[in-house]
Amino acid sequence: MTTTTAAAPARRGKAMDSLTQRYLVLIGLIVIASVGFGIANDNFYSLANIGILLRSIAVLFLVSMGMTFIMLTGGIDLSVGSNVAFAGGVGVIALTATDSALVGFAAAVLAGMAIGAINGVFIGRLRLSAFMVTLATFALARGLALVIYDADSINVFNGAFLWLGGQSWGNMPVVIPFVALVFVALSVLLYRSPFGRDVYAAGSNFNTAFVLGRMPQRTLVWVYVLSGALAGLSAIITVGRVSSGQPWTGLYLEFDAITAVILGGTSLFGGRGRLLGTILGVLLYGIIINGLVLTGTNPYLQNLIKGLILLGVVLLDTLVQRRKAQ
Amino acid sequence: MNFKTGLMSATALTLMGAPAVAQDDTLDIVFINDGHVAPYHVAWLKGFEDAIDAYDEAFPDTKITGRWLSAEGSLEKMIQQTEVTINEGPDVMFVNAINVDAFEPLVAKAQEAGITWIAVHSPMDSADYSFTLGDVVNGTNQGLAMCALSGGEPYKVAIMLGQAGNPSGEARREGILKGIGACDNIEVVAEQPADWDTVKAQSIAENWLTQFEDLDAISGVTDAYMYPSIAIATNSGKDLDFYGYDGDIPILQQMQNGTVKADILLSGTREGWNFVQMAYRIHEGETPDKVYDFFTPLVMTEENHKTALDNGFPEDVEVYYVDEALDVAAKGYLEFGPDSVK
Amino acid sequence: MPDLSRLLREKNIIFVTLALCLVFYLISPRFLSLDNMSAISRQIVPIGLIALGQFFVVVSGNIDLSMGMGSVLFAIVLGVFFGMTGGVALGIVAVIACSLALGFFNGVLVTKLRLPAFIVTLSMLFCAQGLSGLIIPRGQQIFLMGDFFRFIGAEKFMGLYWSFLFLVALFVLAWVVYNHTRWGAAVIAVGNSEENARLAGVNVDRVKIGVFMFSALCSGFAGIMLSSRMGFVQPGLDGNGLLLDGIAAIIIGGTLILGGRGTIGGAFWGLLFIGVINNALNLLNVEDVWHQVFKGAVILAALGANWVLWQSRQVEAH
Repeated sequence: MTTTTAAAPARRGKAMDSLTQRYLVLIGLIVIASVGFGIANDNFYSLANIGILLRSIAVLFLVSMGMTFIMLTGGIDLSVGSNVAFAGGVGVIALTATDSALVGFAAAVLAGMAIGAINGVFIGRLRLSAFMVTLATFALARGLALVIYDADSINVFNGAFLWLGGQSWGNMPVVIPFVALVFVALSVLLYRSPFGRDVYAAGSNFNTAFVLGRMPQRTLVWVYVLSGALAGLSAIITVGRVSSGQPWTGLYLEFDAITAVILGGTSLFGGRGRLLGTILGVLLYGIIINGLVLTGTNPYLQNLIKGLILLGVVLLDTLVQRRKAQ
Repeated sequence: MNFKTGLMSATALTLMGAPAVAQDDTLDIVFINDGHVAPYHVAWLKGFEDAIDAYDEAFPDTKITGRWLSAEGSLEKMIQQTEVTINEGPDVMFVNAINVDAFEPLVAKAQEAGITWIAVHSPMDSADYSFTLGDVVNGTNQGLAMCALSGGEPYKVAIMLGQAGNPSGEARREGILKGIGACDNIEVVAEQPADWDTVKAQSIAENWLTQFEDLDAISGVTDAYMYPSIAIATNSGKDLDFYGYDGDIPILQQMQNGTVKADILLSGTREGWNFVQMAYRIHEGETPDKVYDFFTPLVMTEENHKTALDNGFPEDVEVYYVDEALDVAAKGYLEFGPDSVK
Repeated sequence: MPDLSRLLREKNIIFVTLALCLVFYLISPRFLSLDNMSAISRQIVPIGLIALGQFFVVVSGNIDLSMGMGSVLFAIVLGVFFGMTGGVALGIVAVIACSLALGFFNGVLVTKLRLPAFIVTLSMLFCAQGLSGLIIPRGQQIFLMGDFFRFIGAEKFMGLYWSFLFLVALFVLAWVVYNHTRWGAAVIAVGNSEENARLAGVNVDRVKIGVFMFSALCSGFAGIMLSSRMGFVQPGLDGNGLLLDGIAAIIIGGTLILGGRGTIGGAFWGLLFIGVINNALNLLNVEDVWHQVFKGAVILAALGANWVLWQSRQVEAH
């Protein structure tokens, strides 16, 4: 796939320009979509509805931010959806065994990180294709989830464990400020720490980063572990949301996350993109797709619209950039 | 037994007398289902939509509207859809909950908002009403039919199950095994879950046909399994008996040539129509039974029914013959249309 | 050296597949029965078509994610035409025309507009999924019974299914094209380096559009095979599972996901490998929940094995 990156890596300043432009396009689309839904449905702007909408994309926010890190290194993670189910299973089992929410949280996050570590070692250390490795863990983690749950769901009654995903303050779900917090933390990590610079370096040019002693192999391992940890957090939120552990949760979630990250302007080939774009991508995706889901649009039509939005945004972006270049 | 059903459903409810309605009277019905893809779902949602239109036209004094949502198998999506729907405040909600326990808080919230909550398939104490299917009884009838039609010789059957842990699937399995237990010539050679999935059913059926060369019959807890099973057996020239469950029209049609021996007439179309009828009755002030059991007869050909009776099949099991079953399955209004409540 | 490593690579998957067969045979002698062998040969046909189409796309340095959902869409196109006309001829023409059009569209977006294949075909995946439900009124199911479907789905020639023979013929044809024509060489050249291929006089855009049209055509064929074997169609079939199985088959068969390398023979053995595993897990009554674990672990193991053989190449190719 990487052979299509024949174009020389863009200079930093220019890349920022085209990214800003992408963000403006996204904001415009978000406004248009919101106005459209507002006209079609008076109830769309009730505070309760906005809370529900944001909560429904909380998990997508988290895994997409993890996916952004991975795609900045030029990789991909197809296993996140399965990992959410697997980590949830481990967390719920640990919770029922010990009756301690803390142990449950830790188990879920560690389980997510474990799958991430498998991905990371195979991709970072053995330098195998991310697509293929995570395709294998996609099956592996889903299978393990099914084994853990014995293909059945497990009800959870521990209030503390359910708090993060289930609780609301009035119309504001607890999980929204939590996601905002994670966003701030990850932004600091990406823009203000040496690790963040390593992520961009590994994605821009692995070999140069290697020669410069930035140890991109190690960066890659940690990026996948980070994505796994976010999948573990997502698992906790999901279990809290539905007060039970479900073996089939998160099925094909990775497709949604990849779509949202691409919408947010992050390059598939690494080195270019920002977390803000992903947030906008998830918002657009969430407002349009979840708006359609929640208002009962034909599910097949939703898929078609999803495909057309993805293609449309990328196409629009390319055409605008081309015109600019001329 | 031809026109019993209309009467039956009429007597199943207590009439409380309908008050006169104003022009601006409205009835908004929302049906939140667990999926939209399986043939049964398709028929179900179609029956529901058709019934909404028919009732709206037949009762000009009341504006009757409705819509369905599909959670596409995701509990999370279903909870979101339910919350948004409660905010919009319809009159009646039918919810086919993927996990009943997760919906308890939402039932309370809906009732606070003055919405009538009808739990679909899995009964809920807290719900205003529960719409149930009698899975064990139906399964038993299927098993009994197999006993009576197997002819007394050793008879090998493989049973395709629902998703592990799914209450409806487990109940149907329990019933089928209970029915088969009535005779001792039937041997269950395999039981395997196909997760309500036609593709999985296809590979399982394919393996069974290689694995058990002398297999006599395939039984399933849903007609969705019958499509690939019948197609594979027919295409490999094997003459098997099939025992279905659901009353899908294409499967009922396969009874006429003798491929399918017995089926349970749930019929998605009928169920969809019955929903709207039920909602309308509640709207008119009637109170159905708190647990409303859907009337689901067994379907056989007349000839097979006679053979079965000769072989000791219980006479009190309600049986529809194929033509009649096809008729009510295709035309939900025969049993549950506006005429049934006028 | 390339010859040696190619041999080694193909041999490793052959040995693993044969060893697996032996193990399964020891557990259940029925595994190697003629009936079961022919069941496997029939089960792998749709995956095989996806794998073959994907092979050329991947070797050219691209990927086609729309193949799985595409084949579901094309199965339904066939079903809709069959439902309307009661015949298959028009349906097959329509499937071929639609699939070539989809492939052309994918190819043009990738080449002329320079969009990444991943994004283009991902959005086509969603579109195909949506269309598959929209072109059947209310998402109904359609029975496909008749001589044609029986022929494709069940008729045999000298003990082998016609559908399997068709697959084998297509693989042989692909082998010839890949190894002995300029077009095959051009696909490899494009996958290795577009720049160099262009310098060598290869029309890169035309090659890429070609591979996408071929992969879409393969998913059209897969749709026909799938629907004939099932005897009915409905939207909502899991095309993604098919897609991922197909990709796994060629990667296990030693195709480099980054492009430029791979062999048709390897892809075929990878396909048999996937087919044997899928079949055995069912046949040996392995509990359903373990299937995915087993599959994931086996793919990881195969990747590890390939790493040993490809180590040097992987490092330089990233």
